[in-house]
Amino acid sequence: MKTSLNFTAYLIYLPVVIILTWYVAHILFRNSKVFMLDIFNGRTDIAISTNKLFETGFYLLNLGFALTIMEEATDIGSNRNLLEILSAKIGGFSIYLGVMLFFNLYLFFRGKKVAKQKARLAEAVKIIDANR
Amino acid sequence: MNTLAYIVYLFITFFITVRTGLLFYRNGRVYIVTLLKDDGHLADAINKMLLTGYYLLNLGYAAVMITYWKTIASITGLLTSIAGMTARIMLTLAVIHFMNMAAIYFFSKRNNHHLINHTM
Repeated sequence: MKTSLNFTAYLIYLPVVIILTWYVAHILFRNSKVFMLDIFNGRTDIAISTNKLFETGFYLLNLGFALTIMEEATDIGSNRNLLEILSAKIGGFSIYLGVMLFFNLYLFFRGKKVAKQKARLAEAVKIIDANR
Repeated sequence: MNTLAYIVYLFITFFITVRTGLLFYRNGRVYIVTLLKDDGHLADAINKMLLTGYYLLNLGYAAVMITYWKTIASITGLLTSIAGMTARIMLTLAVIHFMNMAAIYFFSKRNNHHLINHTM
């Protein structure tokens, strides 16, 4: 009985998925430092810490998800089937990563908006106090 | 073959737990200091205790999960089961982590509200 190609599929799937996750996380959290510094209004330490915390959570969540969907219940018999199943899994995971990326961007933008509102409020209070 | 799986699994989860634990410890300290408006001593104590509790919970959880491990039939099954169990640990960690961050966020909002009312 020919051994199924499932093992080969897993061996291809795992590095691709890990590299993808690393790449998205690297780009996202390298560029989010600007947002963080803006939201936390110059307090560098808490900005970098928040960034690192979000990055850790991002890795945990996405690698966990990738590993969860790894298992292929059906026996992969041919190379054609191998490629089809791999495309489905890796493609689906890419889409999920894209959604996560945009969701994170949305959160960053929302945080920036809230920070700007708070800054304006603080400015207004200062002006009122000065004119009193 | 199960023994091999357990060893690899425990190795991976130990590495993940310790690494993320240290990351949270180092980067979370700022939050505790900010929330308690502290100079550092109380924050260090709380942080250390949190880290210990975190290790206990997570390493214990990872270890207990081994009792639910299915018997492994082949090398493919070995890879699949290690991946699946590790995934469960990682997802649990992620969920707890984000719940923590949400809790900290709401705590800080409650604190800041108090401050804003003061200046008005």
